[in-house]
Amino acid sequence: MSEIDVSDIQGFSLKGYNFPRARYLLLELLESGPARDFVMRLLPDITTGERWEIDKKPMSTVNLAFTHRGLARLQLPVPSLLSFPVEFQQGMKARGDILYDTGKNGPEHWDEVWKDDRVHAWLAVNARTVEALEERCAAIERLMTETGGARLLQAQNACAINLDGQPSTKEHFGYTDGFGNPDFKGAERECVPGQGKLTADGRWEALATGEFLLGYADEAGELPVGPIPHLLGRNGTFMVYRKLHQNVGVFRNYLDEKGKLYGGGKEKLAAKFVGRWRDGTPIELSPDEPNADIVADKNRNTNFTYGGDPAGVRCPIGAHVRRVHPRDAFGFNGGLTNRRRIMRRGLPYGEYVPEGQPVRDEDERGIIFMALNASIFRQFEFVQQQWIEYGNDSHQGNDKEPLVGNHTGTGKFMVQGSTDPKNPPFICGGMPSFVELRGGDYFFIPSLTALAMIATGTVDPR
Amino acid sequence: MTNINGKAYAMNAITPMKPWKTPILRLLLLVLGAIKPLQNDLKNLSFIHFARWVVVARNQFPRLSDKQPREELRYDYLLFFSNFNGTWNQYIDAFSAVLSRGLNLIWRWSEKYPGSRPVTGFKRYIALVQFDTDYYYNVYPRAATNDVKAALRVQDALDQFASTSQSLSPADFEKAWLEFVVRVQVDLGSTGVAPVGT
Amino acid sequence: MSNQSGQVYGLTILSPIIEDDGLDICHSMELRWYLGHLARDHESPFARISSTYLARLVVLDDVVYVGAPACEEHLKSRYLVFETNFDGDLDTYLTRMARETPEFVEMVWKHCIGYPGVTDTGAFVGYMKKCQIATTFFFADVNNRTVQQTLKALQTQSALAHFIEKYQGRPPAEIQSEFGALLRSMSDAPLPVAGGDEAERMPQENRPHE
Repeated sequence: MSEIDVSDIQGFSLKGYNFPRARYLLLELLESGPARDFVMRLLPDITTGERWEIDKKPMSTVNLAFTHRGLARLQLPVPSLLSFPVEFQQGMKARGDILYDTGKNGPEHWDEVWKDDRVHAWLAVNARTVEALEERCAAIERLMTETGGARLLQAQNACAINLDGQPSTKEHFGYTDGFGNPDFKGAERECVPGQGKLTADGRWEALATGEFLLGYADEAGELPVGPIPHLLGRNGTFMVYRKLHQNVGVFRNYLDEKGKLYGGGKEKLAAKFVGRWRDGTPIELSPDEPNADIVADKNRNTNFTYGGDPAGVRCPIGAHVRRVHPRDAFGFNGGLTNRRRIMRRGLPYGEYVPEGQPVRDEDERGIIFMALNASIFRQFEFVQQQWIEYGNDSHQGNDKEPLVGNHTGTGKFMVQGSTDPKNPPFICGGMPSFVELRGGDYFFIPSLTALAMIATGTVDPR
Repeated sequence: MTNINGKAYAMNAITPMKPWKTPILRLLLLVLGAIKPLQNDLKNLSFIHFARWVVVARNQFPRLSDKQPREELRYDYLLFFSNFNGTWNQYIDAFSAVLSRGLNLIWRWSEKYPGSRPVTGFKRYIALVQFDTDYYYNVYPRAATNDVKAALRVQDALDQFASTSQSLSPADFEKAWLEFVVRVQVDLGSTGVAPVGT
Repeated sequence: MSNQSGQVYGLTILSPIIEDDGLDICHSMELRWYLGHLARDHESPFARISSTYLARLVVLDDVVYVGAPACEEHLKSRYLVFETNFDGDLDTYLTRMARETPEFVEMVWKHCIGYPGVTDTGAFVGYMKKCQIATTFFFADVNNRTVQQTLKALQTQSALAHFIEKYQGRPPAEIQSEFGALLRSMSDAPLPVAGGDEAERMPQENRPHE
């Protein structure tokens, strides 16, 4: 059992704040002296993982992370810089071949800010209201000016989609998001069935802390690769930031077109893509229709396995949730999957257009996707390369994940079915890319201790 | 990269063994081959086309001429050849995670073998004892072993269905066709190019 | 028989390589150069020895020193490792090598000690068997089909997937008639090429790492 020191860990690493508004400030750090000064001055405002008492929730939160280039700009000693994991040192752009960030997802199509490895820091403000967001960001910008430590390259806004006047957890394709984030030991929230790992007797158990935080034992009984000195890495984690543009128009047209041919109808086909109905009901639990009761019950809404559905008749073998969290589908007591989990954070960006209204795919619209893990290589990169962009582990050959795969217009998605005319086998062919990458990078989210060391220039690699 | 051809990776490894340990290993491999628990796990992992362990005793290196110097070795050598799908890291991660005991049974007789868990030391050892392939041929580069097995199931299903399909009435055909598609539906993944090695 | 799993034979051969200090370019270097430039796709000599699944040639320069307290030692010769997995029996395979790909055999094994040439097939087969090392444990995931049956099945799988997609939702009579046409075209189709195409291995967007 790992005792974790929540006051030393940045809140963003430990929990989703569930605030409806966010702004990600992408910064260039200037001279190392002023930059360190900037970090030092920010330190008291950095939100930690400490529990918030009821009525004492802050109006906004602040968190800070760096790319490898950013750490170099802060003049961490060279031996420390060289001790970070290789993929973090290279940065996401250099890893494009692994991630299939090619063709329409290639850097030539990214936002300017991401094209040339200029981003040094990610400063995230999450807020409960627009006013709180603006107030906090203004304070930060004042600090940047006062210290001369950083310059704003781009401010990426993100905002929960409002439905019926309330912030929802929907994303632009209409799916309800936010289920199934992994449970790990020491995290404060309750262990919810379906989120951790499966034990031999069918119970769900929290994963090892070291899958998500440096300095703790991971599922293989080792410490994850981290920088030296130990204190620099401890209580920190790595984040993958990806701006995913969504072609809502293309998606809706495709769904309409195929939905007419598919015996179960359009909504069911949409559910087959993901493995959940658009309201969030898992189709393994409710194959014929959405079920609001299941969605509302956290002990049910992600509590299922695939053992009873080996042929993918309820949830297709290539569906999104089945690919990224195979649960018991690969056998071997989870040995092939427990070290491939990622913690997801994110918010949509861009204006939401309700169904039925015309939508232009040239508009800025999509999701800011962030994955947290102790090893970018072993976790995110693996899932992206082997389970999203390829299908061998799920016995689907080269077929890609339908929703976010980098399709080139020729791929297919097989919906397995039965002799029931409302659940027929069906091939979705000629898949276009519904999602396109517009940039991102790999970041290190240091602990509070590490931030202080960085800010005071006291990182000593021995 | 000459270790890779299409979806297959050719791994070669050589490890030294003190000669008194060799008969134990030979016996173990014989037993493992006969009782088949390792064979079953390997089949279920489903990413190895062919793999073999070959013991070369220190006096067994072929000598074909008097002019060829006689080998004077202290150790026997265990050679390992694998044709597997996936990346190097993925392969070793999987073995370490699920075949730990089997691997240990085979390699514990090799000098300095650190055990297959924790995986980091295991990977370091394999990198040390691995040697690279100079030429690799693959009859089906676009097919992993999963693809091959799926294709064979599809072929069998098709052969069965084809023999009756043309003589059915359209109504009967419709029903039989649906049943046929349901039978093959999990085995229709496309073949193609492998992800890059990591 | 440990060299065999079902229909598949696992052959392991270690052929000592000639060491000649008088040469400018030693045998192992030349051999490596030849192997580095040999076609690996449908133009490979192994594509002609059509019972071959997966085959490799590896120059084993030396044994490895694993670190103290293990002792350091070295081989006195280099060895060419030939590891191959094929349908059928050993004699047939080796004979085919000599008869169907003599130039390739010559270019490789001429660098090895005791190689008698390919003109006398029996001598060649005998030579190769002298260098054979028995496999102690052999695993074959699929061991009950021939190469040709496997290639045909892969062709079938792809054609069927395309067919199902193309005709889904069409009237049953149409599917039935088109299915008949598909069966005919599949039985007429030439066997797919062994070894695949080098070009299709590496499309532009999937360049391998170095």
